[in-house]
Amino acid sequence: MMRLRLVTALLASAAAFVAVSAHADNLVTKDRVGPADAPKSFTLRLTNDGPTSTDPVWAEGYQKLFSEFIQRHPGWRIDLERMSDNIGQEQARMLEQAKSGNGPDCAAVDSFVLALFKGANVLKPLDEYFTKEEVADLFPFIREGITGPDGKIYAWWWNTDLRVLYRNKEIVPDAPKDWAELKAAALASKEKGGEGVLFNGGRWEGTTFDWLANFWAQGGKLVDDKGKPIFAEGENREKFLKAVNYFKDLVDSGAAPKRVATIVNYDEFNAAAAAGTAALFIGGNWQYGQLKNTLEPEEFAKWTFSEIPGPTADQRSTGTGGWTFGAFSNDPAKVAMCAAVVKEIYAGPGNALQQQLPTAAALYGKYDVFKTEANETFAKALVNGQARPGVPIYPEISNQIQIMMGDVLSGTKTPEAALDAANTAVQAAFARL
Amino acid sequence: MPTTTAAAMGAAQRRVAGPSLARRIEANPFTWLVPVAVMLGVFYLYPILDVFRLGLTNASLVGSDERYTIVTLQAMFENPALLDILKTTAVFTIASVVGQQAFGLAIALLVMRGERRKLKGMVALRTLVLVAWVIPGIANGLIWQMLFSEAPFGAINSVLRMMHVSPVAWLSDPNIAMLSAVISNVWRGTAFSMIVFYAALKAIDPTLYEAASVDGAGHLQKLRFITLPQLRAAILVNSILVTIQTLNTFDAIISLTGGGPGRATEVLSLFTFNTVFRNYDLAGGSVLSVLMLVISLVLALFYASFMPRREVSE
Repeated sequence: MMRLRLVTALLASAAAFVAVSAHADNLVTKDRVGPADAPKSFTLRLTNDGPTSTDPVWAEGYQKLFSEFIQRHPGWRIDLERMSDNIGQEQARMLEQAKSGNGPDCAAVDSFVLALFKGANVLKPLDEYFTKEEVADLFPFIREGITGPDGKIYAWWWNTDLRVLYRNKEIVPDAPKDWAELKAAALASKEKGGEGVLFNGGRWEGTTFDWLANFWAQGGKLVDDKGKPIFAEGENREKFLKAVNYFKDLVDSGAAPKRVATIVNYDEFNAAAAAGTAALFIGGNWQYGQLKNTLEPEEFAKWTFSEIPGPTADQRSTGTGGWTFGAFSNDPAKVAMCAAVVKEIYAGPGNALQQQLPTAAALYGKYDVFKTEANETFAKALVNGQARPGVPIYPEISNQIQIMMGDVLSGTKTPEAALDAANTAVQAAFARL
Repeated sequence: MPTTTAAAMGAAQRRVAGPSLARRIEANPFTWLVPVAVMLGVFYLYPILDVFRLGLTNASLVGSDERYTIVTLQAMFENPALLDILKTTAVFTIASVVGQQAFGLAIALLVMRGERRKLKGMVALRTLVLVAWVIPGIANGLIWQMLFSEAPFGAINSVLRMMHVSPVAWLSDPNIAMLSAVISNVWRGTAFSMIVFYAALKAIDPTLYEAASVDGAGHLQKLRFITLPQLRAAILVNSILVTIQTLNTFDAIISLTGGGPGRATEVLSLFTFNTVFRNYDLAGGSVLSVLMLVISLVLALFYASFMPRREVSE
């Protein structure tokens, strides 16, 4: 009799577990989180960072996080929308939708275009959902990025990234500290059969962003306090040309291959590392994990990273980006849910799941994954982090820098002529803003 | 004859009541053209008119105070980059149109010849060519990017190295990058031309070739004096379609070169896309769209002026 009871209890437990599991599974579908008949709902537009991620580990992790979230918020349903990989176009479209009142209630906004969303007055303040301590714990450039001219915060920047110099220790044992050392190391690596140093030089945002570290390291400024482009004026012009000539010299001297003018994807560096043709490249911090997954353990052990060399050893800078969440809804309850999604799913658990750098100092101590030597080094390098200026003219500045870089690296124009052409185009665009 | 009487009465009643609905619709084509006109108006005409309107404003995806102005028009036409972009567009379009038609005609002739000789595999050949046509532009660009890659492991350059030929700067040299963009576009668009020419070749009366053979004409003479004149209408129609299609091509270029290096492969459609989606300049993009429309119309009218006219007796 006792045995029968035990078996019955076990079967009941198993059935209950299966039922709960099935219930949890049903809570997260391709386009919905929560029961289909929930009385309240809001739309959430995501990138690849979510339950429908193409990365199975991330997808599973987010499905669990979202499932737990919706069970803590009964009566709600999240209608999921997914952006394509064409982020620039997606963000532009979303801005237009938000302006006409047809945007999602809550969405992932690229930090690179956050200023445009703030300037268009489509984002709702999130101050009441975050404590002053939480805001104060954010890195300064993050805090500055999400704060509007009225002092309120209009988004929550939950992850960040930075650029570093990767190197194969077997070929380049010591970290180059300045431009001259990098050139010498690249040329030395060529003698060992490598391609030299690789970096983005094609027509895309990565080219501008990665190169700007060399301009910023000298103290160069793209725009003044009012957002007017000043990169081609006075001292900035000299610094700008110095940074352009540095890249030109790398290509002309053979320290970098001419093909850098065609590189429009960080994955090219992973491919070159896997093929054993590259010993040096300027890439993103997220590539460390990618290299670990791509290379054989003994090959991966040869790779390390260091800060991007500056003109001198004490002049360093690195571009920092990342993703934010913003609320577009006029319904305060939906804005509150948007803030809850960020706090409970992304800022912390999401960072740990994707191993993407948190934006608040406290989170580095909270999760073991950020206590690794690599992540601690990345966090230290964030001290020299510099975000792109949050001004409406930045996209055109970036576009012109990409064109200029192509013209200079392919030898079509001199750096001076390319800079003048870029400045003329940017000033004309600025006059029309 | 009661049946005949009833039928006659019914006809008389219909005459009294007026023509039937079907007859009325038939007599008045406007009625059945309305749905098509509404569809075209809503989905084609209205967007075109709105683009014209936006071109006369300062509309942007960022700003909010939209007002009417000719400043955008002025700024777009005074843009120093526009002339270079138009030249690039002209080179890309002419090379693509010529290339696609030449290869399309060559493959169509090959297929026709193969079919005449009852060779096996002609259907497979046609299908194989069509595969390129159904590949999306973005994928086409990515495929050719891998082939043209200048990395030591790039596909075409690796083959060249194996043949002891120096690798080519397919994408980093501004002049060769344009050639690469044209090759990728011709590869994709050739199938369309092949279909058009294949259909037109099928319609040529075989007795013309028989008569020419009797007269002792060679292959080249038959091509010059029979095939090409008989294909004139098909070539012109195809030219219009391929030109418009090529002028609108930006997806393959954006994934192949992004328009670079510099602006070496930035065609008008890509410039328009960048203006709207990267610079958020809706008004500027609208002006450029109107410019593209005008260029397409002018070229279409130009080609159409060479179309063979139908005889009055026909």
